[in-house]
Amino acid sequence: MIRNYLKIAWRNLRKNRVFSFINIFGLALGLACFMLIALYVADEWSYDRFHAKAERIYRVHSDVRMGETDLHMSETSDPMGETLKNEFPQVEEFVRLYNNSGAKLIKHGDEYLNEPRVAHADSTLFDVFTLPVVAGTGKGALSEPNAVVISESAAERYFGGAAAAIGQNLETDDAGGTAYQVRAVFQDLPEQSHFHIDFFFSMANVNYDFGNFASHNFNTYILLREGADPAEFPAKFEQVIQKYLAPLLQQYMQTDLETFRKSGNRIEYSLMPLTDIHLHSDRTAEFEPNGSIQNIYIFSVAALFILVLACVNFTNLSTARSAGRAREVGIRKTMGTRKPALIGQFLTESVLLAYIALVLAVGICALLLPWFNGISGKELVLADLLRPGYLLFLGALPLLVGVLAGVYPAFFLASFNPIRALKGKKGSGSKAEPVLRNALVVFQFAVSIILIVGTLVIYNQLEFIRKARIGFDKEQVAVVDTGGIPGSNRAAFKQEVAALAGVRSAAFAGYLPVANSSRSDTSFSTDPVMSETNMFNMQIWRTDYDYIPTMGMELLEGRNFSTEFGSDSTALIINQRAAEILGVSNPVGSKLYYRSAPDQEEAEIYTIIGMVRDFNFESLRQNVGPLAMRLGRNDWATALRMAPGDLESTLAQVEQQFHEMAPGMPFSYTFLDESFDQMYRQEQRMGRVALSFAVLAILIACLGLFGLVTYVAEQRTKEIGIRKVLGASLGNILGLLSRDFLKLVLLAFVIGSPIAWWAMSAWLEDFAYRAPIELWIFAATGGAALAIALFTMAFKALRAALQNPVNSLRTE
Amino acid sequence: MLLKLENIYKWVNQGGNRTFLLKHLDLEIDEGEFVSVMGPSGSGKSTLLNVIGLLDGFDEGDYYFQGEAVHQMRDKERARLQKEHIGFIFQAYHLIDELTVYENIETPLLYQKVKSSERKALVGDILDRFNIVGKKDLFPSQLSGGQQQLVGVARALISRPKILLADEPTGNLNSRQSREIMELFKELNREGMTIVQATHSEFNASYGTRILHLLDGSWTDTPEL
Repeated sequence: MIRNYLKIAWRNLRKNRVFSFINIFGLALGLACFMLIALYVADEWSYDRFHAKAERIYRVHSDVRMGETDLHMSETSDPMGETLKNEFPQVEEFVRLYNNSGAKLIKHGDEYLNEPRVAHADSTLFDVFTLPVVAGTGKGALSEPNAVVISESAAERYFGGAAAAIGQNLETDDAGGTAYQVRAVFQDLPEQSHFHIDFFFSMANVNYDFGNFASHNFNTYILLREGADPAEFPAKFEQVIQKYLAPLLQQYMQTDLETFRKSGNRIEYSLMPLTDIHLHSDRTAEFEPNGSIQNIYIFSVAALFILVLACVNFTNLSTARSAGRAREVGIRKTMGTRKPALIGQFLTESVLLAYIALVLAVGICALLLPWFNGISGKELVLADLLRPGYLLFLGALPLLVGVLAGVYPAFFLASFNPIRALKGKKGSGSKAEPVLRNALVVFQFAVSIILIVGTLVIYNQLEFIRKARIGFDKEQVAVVDTGGIPGSNRAAFKQEVAALAGVRSAAFAGYLPVANSSRSDTSFSTDPVMSETNMFNMQIWRTDYDYIPTMGMELLEGRNFSTEFGSDSTALIINQRAAEILGVSNPVGSKLYYRSAPDQEEAEIYTIIGMVRDFNFESLRQNVGPLAMRLGRNDWATALRMAPGDLESTLAQVEQQFHEMAPGMPFSYTFLDESFDQMYRQEQRMGRVALSFAVLAILIACLGLFGLVTYVAEQRTKEIGIRKVLGASLGNILGLLSRDFLKLVLLAFVIGSPIAWWAMSAWLEDFAYRAPIELWIFAATGGAALAIALFTMAFKALRAALQNPVNSLRTE
Repeated sequence: MLLKLENIYKWVNQGGNRTFLLKHLDLEIDEGEFVSVMGPSGSGKSTLLNVIGLLDGFDEGDYYFQGEAVHQMRDKERARLQKEHIGFIFQAYHLIDELTVYENIETPLLYQKVKSSERKALVGDILDRFNIVGKKDLFPSQLSGGQQQLVGVARALISRPKILLADEPTGNLNSRQSREIMELFKELNREGMTIVQATHSEFNASYGTRILHLLDGSWTDTPEL
């Protein structure tokens, strides 16, 4: 029997090629999309699970609120790990990673290479993490100073192989040229790791004032013993705070812990499971930008939606085609086939179609994978699909989809009245059936509308960010990395390049209003004696005389730093937000006090000489915080405001200068506007993903609409014929066929718009500066949905309208 | 003279063979005539009516309607001619199931852009005349076959056509209903309406003022029984 079913299914498929193609293709698109996202989600979930003890490893996080500033750090203080290990038996081991200096310059042949993937680590590195060693000995390798363990690819680059690297020296720019001996080579960290470090150096070489509970600069991982309960740790951290931090508060701020907390300040520590870091941690001082669980949800929901859309389509198209099968149903029924058998037959068919779609979907996956990797930032390969777990999933999916999508048409077809069906009339007189079909169309278009609105809002917001008044001029500014130039040559370099014809001005710019630049948060007080009421935190940026004009910042009050004033070494230029906190409209002349150490007798006194317009130095997700600029050394980067014209030749001249001052050092530069845009990469990615989904959803919805119009046109052939005989014009018929569907699209719009508005408002909440969701977005979406729907229908409706009525009115 | 067909050919090509539906056909119909076309199934009666009614084209020959050369007309003019001057009645009535009696009759007027008030008057008149005022809000499925065909005739007449084309108008009716429709045709004809009907029935054909016999797409003098 099943052979007979399959044979008929196959012949039907071949007979209605266009229909079958649309049906299978739509389903394949949905399946492909679903598969890609399943791959993506599984990949995101697999982060950091390669460590053998992953389930027992936790990172210590710190949350500090002092005055006006909140800090959520992935790091903690340097003694924390050891303290936890010594005081609590549940802690088996700890390891700290330190990379505050960011990149290192490492000598390769005659020149230095800039290596960003570096960190100093404790000797327990190999006890906590699983880093398979391919040469040398990992365990204990870092217990002595001047040792380094490197990744296989680093070994390959520097020494031509893992074995050759052992015992060799790596010369760095640390402390004027420290050499480290390679003790071990480990396998490259897999993609699914929240850090990718190629060089782990001895912790002993870190030049740091160790033992300071108040400074949080170490990513610290602890390994719990088997059976230890991480839920006990909040209490343990409180013990640590009481024992070690309370005395510090007394010493620094003459206040006890209780008063400190009462005035709204806090210091808290927490544990985050290693395997949660990638999806749940978005803190200051992460090694790399992590993934986001929110994206996973969005992706998953979108994928599910697309799959459901494709199923809905399949259902609609199959029902639409049922008219053609009515005779077959009639004949089978008169031959004694009963309803369950017929349902079985039609379900077999839809499952068969689903399996064909699956094959096609794997092909589509293979085609889309590079593009998908592009938008998702992953390196997925098709082979991932062939893992046993996936294979099972893939094998079962079409069964589920086929039944889900096929069940309604199967029941619909099988319930045809045989006599009516044989006479060529519609077999079922049920009135409920168009309601369901209409609901499905409304659903499809509502989803499409939500996705279109989402896409438009995201793009609108990105455009808003691009054009936002950010308080400085990000265009035409090149930032040259001058860290490689010997300190004594940097001023000369700045002077030389500033004199170039293509450069308007140059400034040392270690502190920049874009991500991945230096920051320094410092406590100031408005009175000589610091207390928790007169104290506030603000950014203090060390700049030079040319910084404000080079960055295109606007002075609202007072003056810029000037060489004419000898006292400018204690001068501050603050932003509007800082003035607001001080509570003065013109802060020029006000004084601020600062102590670099708690035991310092006299506070340093600073005088405010100017106020700049607020500029966004964090992403536009955050409000502008208080900030002050003072004169100081920050010459590891130099900003050049370029004159319009031949940028390339100017940059070539700058490079030439650079090489004269720093022979053998790598020359690198970035453009400020590009760095600015990079802060919104996540949003841009979201925008692209939303756009892709919107296009896909619309495509599928249109396929469905096409199917339905076909169905209705088929059902109403007779009516169309009559109307044409009675003198209906082409336009009348088109209107007749489209009107009902346009109503559905309108209804979808009415349902989808508020949902989209709500969802996108929630998304925009993340931004301190946001473009309003304007009416035109909805108008455009509604217009587009109508236009697309009309366009889809026009083709089919036109054909129906142009048909010769004689054919449709033939009585027999 | 209302219309004139000269040397009309219509054919279909099937697997390399040409099958003639209409072959070398001439026909003249004057205003006020009631022509009955007879012939066995497949002789071309419906095709001929479709050609006259401009529902279907032809491959060769000339067709003049009120002296105008239909074979030279563009589609738009043909559509206008059909809309204004030709009324159809079908064997299967072909009423629109979703519309009431009133709305079915009104439909041609909608397509001719007749004003609402005028439509109301026209439809009212014809409902009155056919004694179906009481049924105007019923749907076709609620009517008997004879009543449905009555509505079909009313709908064909509503736009005051020059000619009424009826293709087996009583094919689905019983003899009493048939007779009623034929009597109605006769009365309409007496009032001046030109009618062409295709029929199998000698009795129905006898209502006509002229009877023509069709066989394999051509006129024949010896009707086959």
